[in-house]
Amino acid sequence: MFFLKEEVKVITLHPSYFGPNMREYLINRLNEEEEGRCTGDHFVICVMDMVDIGEGRVLPGSGQAEYTIKYRAIIWKPFRGETVDAIVTSVKPTGIFTLAGPLSVFIARKNIPSDIKWEPNTVPPQYTDHADQVIEKGTSLRLKILGVKPDVAAINAIGTIKEDYLGPL
Amino acid sequence: MSRNVLDQDFGSEEEDDDFNPAPADDSGDEDTKQAARRAPDDEDDDDDEEEVNTGRTGRQRAGSEDNAGRGADDDEEGENDDEEEEGEEEDEDEEEEEEDDDEDANAGRPRKRRRKAGVHSFFEEEAGVDEDEDEAEDDEDELAEFGGEMHPDDMDALPVGAETDDRRHRQLDRQRELAASMDAEKQAQMLKERYGRNRAAATDAVVVPKRLLLPSVDDPSIWGVRCKAGKEREVVFSIQKRIEERPPGSRNPIKIMSAFERGGAMAGYIYVEARRQADVMDALQDMTNVYPRTKMILVPVREMPDLLRVQKSEELMPGGWVRIKRGKYQGDLAQIEEVETNGLAVTVRLIPRLDYGMNEDIGAPIADPKRKRPGMNPAVARPPQRAFSEAEAKKKHAKYLSATSGLGGKSWNYLGETYVDGFLIKDLKVQHLITKNVNPRLEEVTMFARGSEDGTSNLDLASLAETLKNSAAEDSYLPGDPVEVFRGEQQGLIGRTSSTRGDIVTLLVTEGDLAGQTIDAPVKSLRKRFREGDHVKVIGGSRYQDELGMVVQVKDDTVTLLSDMSMQEITVFSKDLRLSAETGVDGKLGMFDVHDLVQLDAATVACIVKVDRESLRVLDQNGSIRTILPTQVANKITPRKDAVATDRNGAEIRHGDTVREVYGEQRNGVILHIHRSFLFLHNKAQAENSGIVVVRTTNVVTVSAKGGRSTGPDLTKMNPALMRNGVPGGMMGPPQKSFGRDRMIGKTVMVRKGPFKGLVGIVKDSTDMQARVELHSKNKLISIPKDILVVKDPVTGQTIDMGRGRGGPRVPHGGSGGPPSAWQGGRTPMGAGDSSRTPAWGGPSSSRTPAWAGIGGSRTPAWKQDGSRTSNPYDGSQTAYGGFGSRTPAWNAGARTPYVGSGNSDFDAFAAGSRTPAWGSSNAGNRTPAWGGATASNGTKDRGYDAPTPGGYSAPTPGAYGSAPTPGVSAPTPGAWADSAPTPGAFNAPTPGDKRAYDAPTPAAFDNAGGSRPYDAPTPALGGSAATPGAGAYGDGDDGGPRSEEGTPSP
Repeated sequence: MFFLKEEVKVITLHPSYFGPNMREYLINRLNEEEEGRCTGDHFVICVMDMVDIGEGRVLPGSGQAEYTIKYRAIIWKPFRGETVDAIVTSVKPTGIFTLAGPLSVFIARKNIPSDIKWEPNTVPPQYTDHADQVIEKGTSLRLKILGVKPDVAAINAIGTIKEDYLGPL
Repeated sequence: MSRNVLDQDFGSEEEDDDFNPAPADDSGDEDTKQAARRAPDDEDDDDDEEEVNTGRTGRQRAGSEDNAGRGADDDEEGENDDEEEEGEEEDEDEEEEEEDDDEDANAGRPRKRRRKAGVHSFFEEEAGVDEDEDEAEDDEDELAEFGGEMHPDDMDALPVGAETDDRRHRQLDRQRELAASMDAEKQAQMLKERYGRNRAAATDAVVVPKRLLLPSVDDPSIWGVRCKAGKEREVVFSIQKRIEERPPGSRNPIKIMSAFERGGAMAGYIYVEARRQADVMDALQDMTNVYPRTKMILVPVREMPDLLRVQKSEELMPGGWVRIKRGKYQGDLAQIEEVETNGLAVTVRLIPRLDYGMNEDIGAPIADPKRKRPGMNPAVARPPQRAFSEAEAKKKHAKYLSATSGLGGKSWNYLGETYVDGFLIKDLKVQHLITKNVNPRLEEVTMFARGSEDGTSNLDLASLAETLKNSAAEDSYLPGDPVEVFRGEQQGLIGRTSSTRGDIVTLLVTEGDLAGQTIDAPVKSLRKRFREGDHVKVIGGSRYQDELGMVVQVKDDTVTLLSDMSMQEITVFSKDLRLSAETGVDGKLGMFDVHDLVQLDAATVACIVKVDRESLRVLDQNGSIRTILPTQVANKITPRKDAVATDRNGAEIRHGDTVREVYGEQRNGVILHIHRSFLFLHNKAQAENSGIVVVRTTNVVTVSAKGGRSTGPDLTKMNPALMRNGVPGGMMGPPQKSFGRDRMIGKTVMVRKGPFKGLVGIVKDSTDMQARVELHSKNKLISIPKDILVVKDPVTGQTIDMGRGRGGPRVPHGGSGGPPSAWQGGRTPMGAGDSSRTPAWGGPSSSRTPAWAGIGGSRTPAWKQDGSRTSNPYDGSQTAYGGFGSRTPAWNAGARTPYVGSGNSDFDAFAAGSRTPAWGSSNAGNRTPAWGGATASNGTKDRGYDAPTPGGYSAPTPGAYGSAPTPGVSAPTPGAWADSAPTPGAFNAPTPGDKRAYDAPTPAAFDNAGGSRPYDAPTPALGGSAATPGAGAYGDGDDGGPRSEEGTPSP
C-alpha cells in the first residue's frame, strides 16, 4: 500500500560545499539517497517535497555542517494479503521468482495451482497448464502477497497465485 | 446370628438408613429383608476389620478402606440376596448355606487378601502411591467374590476353609442357572446395577482427601533393618518365601504386614511393616544378609509416605535417546530401537567404537595379572565413534565376522555383537541406561541421522516427536504463541498462550464465541497455529533445526515452510516451529554461518553453503563442493567490506555489488566476498549451493553497484570542484627531506655574499642550512649558509646549477609548453647568480616550498589531467589502477619503463647527433629538445598519457645525463614521487637505484663537460651506458631496475 510519509533525514555537509549551491546539494543528496531506498519496512518511492531543511549546525571538531531535513515521500509498504502485479524474473523447479516493483516475491511450488505444472524441457523453462497460461521469465503475474519478511535493507515476500483471479495476466 | 434376624419379617428401616446410606437397591420386596440383614452384617464387618488388621498382609490402608470394604460387603449382600430370592422358597438348608455365606464373608476376606499378598504384596519393588490402586484392589476383590471363580493356585494357597470350595461350586452352578433363567434385559440391568454402583463407590473413594489416607500412629509401624548392601532385594524375596512357608493362620505365622526395599536410594536397608518390633525380629530371624539384631530404625509416621514415594520411572519409547552408563560406550548416546514389554530390557542402537583389532599388540603379554581386568578403564582410551565398516573388520578380524541377512537388510555379526547399517545393536538393561537428562547433542544425533539421510523421513518425524516429548513441554510454548486446541472438548478454539504452568497452558481465546476468555488447556491438546506467510524458525530436534523460513502451507499439524537460505520447502510439525523475528542467517555450526568465508589451507578459501549438524558444505574458490568438518577449517575470514576489485572492464566492484558472468553460464549475483581474484556471489534465485557461485573477477561485469552507490559528490568529503583549483592542503607533500649524503659535499663552491664573498672552497660537511667550506685561499673551515653558496665547476669555474636537476625536469614534466621555456630561459643563463634559483637551492624547506608550489601548481593539474593518479579518488578513473594492490606495480612499471625508455630515446637522439651539440653548451637548449625528444621518441601521445609520470621522469633524465647537475635530479625525484605517489614504499626502492645511476654518471658527465666539451667522450659514456641497455629495454618492456644498474657501472 502506498503512503505519504513525512520523514526526517540528517545530512552532513563538508565545509567545502558551503556556498550558494548548498541547498541544491542537499536536495540532490536527499533525492539520491532516499529515492528507491528500502528500509526493511517499506520502499521509498519518491521524495515529494521538503517540508523543512532547517538550519545547519556546524559540528564541533570537523567543521562539517549537519542539516536535519524534513521531507515528505511516497512510500510503499507491502502487506500480507495485498494483491500486486509482478514480473517474473526467473522460474525454477522450486517456484517462481517475481519482482513487484522493487519487491521480490517468491511463489513457492505449493502456492501455484496444481494444474500449472513445471515444464523444464521448454526453452525457456516455464510453468504451464498446457493451455493459455504460461509462466516464464518476463511474464506478468497477478499475485497475492502471503507473507513479508523484512530484512536489514531489503524486503522479501512470498506470494501465491493459487486463488481466483490470480496468475498470468 | 443373621438367621435370627432373617426369621423376623421386617427389620427396621431406620437401621437401614443409619448403616447404609449409599446403595439404592431396586430389588423390590427384598429391600426390607436386606435392610434387616444389614445390621448384623455390619457388625460382622467390624469384626472383619479387626481381623483384617491383624491378619492381612496387604498394604497399609487408611480411611478409605472402610468405605470400600463396606461397598464390597454390600455387594456381597446383594448377591446373597439374589440367591435368597429363590432359595428361601426351596429348602431349609438354604439358610444354612447362607450362614455359610456369611461366614464365608468373614473368612473370605483374609483369603482374598492373601491371594493378593501371596505373590506380590510383600514385595513392593516400586510402590505406587496413588490410592486408585486400593480401589482397584477392592474391585478385584469384589469381582473375585462375585464370580466365585477362584484360580486353582489361589485355592492351593488356602490353608484353612478349603472345605468351602464345594460350596463355591454349587454357588456358581446356581448362579448360572439363575442367569440362564433371567431374561437378558433383566440381566443387563442387574449387571449395570452391580458394576455401576461399584464404579460409584470407586469414585467416592477418590474424593477422600489424600491426607486421610496417610498413615497415623494407629497404623503398623515400619522398621528399617540393616542388611547387606546390594542384597536388599534378595532379602525381600527370602521374606516372601518365608511368609509362604508360614502364612498367617498357620501355626507360627509371620506377623509382618509387608517388607520392601528402596533400592539405590537407601542401599543397605530393607523396610518391614509390622505392629511390633518383635514381629520383625521373628520374621527375619536366621535369615542371611539381613541383620535384625543391629539397631532397627523406626520410621517416623510422618516419613512413611516418603518411603513409598516414587519418581515415576521414565517411560522409554522406541526412537528416544538414552545414554549408556558404563562400559566401553559409557556416556555415549544411544537410540532406543525396541523396548521389551516388561520395560526392563531395551534394544538400543549405538555408534560402534571399534578398532577392528588394529591396536592389538600381538606380542604383548597376555594380561597383567595384577590388573583386575584388561581394559578396565576403556573410556579413557577408546576408539572414536565410527560407523561399522565390514571392510575394516575383514582386514584383521575376518574370522570374527559373519554376515547375516535379515528382513531389513544385511547385518553383521562381529565379535559377538550385531551391527546393522553401521550401527551397533545391543540389548541392555534399563539400569544400565541413563534415561533422564539425556540432552542429545546435535552432533551426536547427526551420527544417527546420517543413516536416514536418504529421505526416510519416518525416523526423522518419529524422533522429532520423541524429542518434543523429552523436552520440557512448557518450554515449547512461550507466552504469546498462537495456539489452537485440536482435541478435547474445546477443540477448535484459537488463542494465544498467556502463561504455562507445567503441562497446563493458559490461553486467551482470540476468536469465536469465547473470545476474550481465558481458558486452561493441557499441552497435549494444543498445537501451534501458523498462518501462511509467517516467518518461523524450526526448533526441536529435527534435522531442520534452526532453519528459518516462511510458511507456505499449513495442513493440520504439519507446516510447510520455505527455507530462507536454501529456498527449499521443508515440512515439519507445527509444534517444532516458533514464530521468528530474526532476520539473520540461519544455520550455525559453532562459529560458522552459512555464507561465511573460511580458509581451508594457505591457498584455498571456501564459502560455506550449508551447515549440517556436524559438517560444513563449502564451495571452494575453484568451484568444487566439499564437505568438511569444522576442525578442517583453518580460520574464518572476517569479511572485508571495503575490499575492492576490478571487473573485466576495469570498473571497480565492491562487496554488495551485483555482477554478471561474461562467459559461461552468465550467472549473476550479489558479491558476498572478494578474495584475491575470486568473487563469491550470492544468487537468490539459485537453489543449489544455497545460491552461492564462485567466479573470477576477470570474468564478470558490473550489473549494478550496491544500492545505487551515490554517483554525486560525497558531501561529507572535500568538494572535488574546489579541489581541482588548487593544491588542497591535505594533498601537500611532506617537507622535502634530503636523503643520504648531501650532494654539495665535496663540491667546489663560491660564496656569493658576505665577508667571504667571492672566495672559492670545497664543501666538507653540511647541514640543512649550513655548509662547512674549506676555502682555497685560507686553510680554514668556515660555516656558511648554503643559500649563499654557488657550486662551481672546479676546472672551468663555471657555475653549476644544482637546482636545475630539480627544477628542470619538473618543468617539462609539467607538460605545459610555456613554463619550461620560461624556466629554462630564466635559469640557464643566470646560472649561479640567479637569485630566483638560489633559494630553490639553498633553502631546502623554506625557499624550496614556493618553488615546489609553483611547480606543483603546474604539476598537479598535469597529474590530474593525465587522469592517472590525482583524479582517481574523485572521478572514478582510478579504475585504471585496478585497486590497491595493482596500483603500485602500475606505477612502477609505468614509471620506470618509459622513463628508461625515454631516456633511451634521448640517447638515441644523441646518437643521431642532432642534439649532441646542444649538450655541453647549453643546458636549456639541450634539455628542451631532450624533453621534446623524449616525447617525440615516445612517439604516441597516448604513451605519454598512459604514463605521464614517466614522462615526468624521463625529462629529468636527459638533464641529469646532460650535465653535472644530475645529482640534483636525484633529489627531486624522490621528492616528486613522495609528493604524489600514494605508495612511497614502492618508490623508495627504485629511487636509490636511480640515484645511484645518476650519481655515477654525474661525475663522468661533469668531468667530460669540464674537460673542454669533448663531445665524443661524454656521448659515448652516456650513450654507451644508458643507451645500450635502453635499446634493449625499450623493446622488451618494463624492467627499469636492472637497466639503471647496468648504466651505473659503465661510467
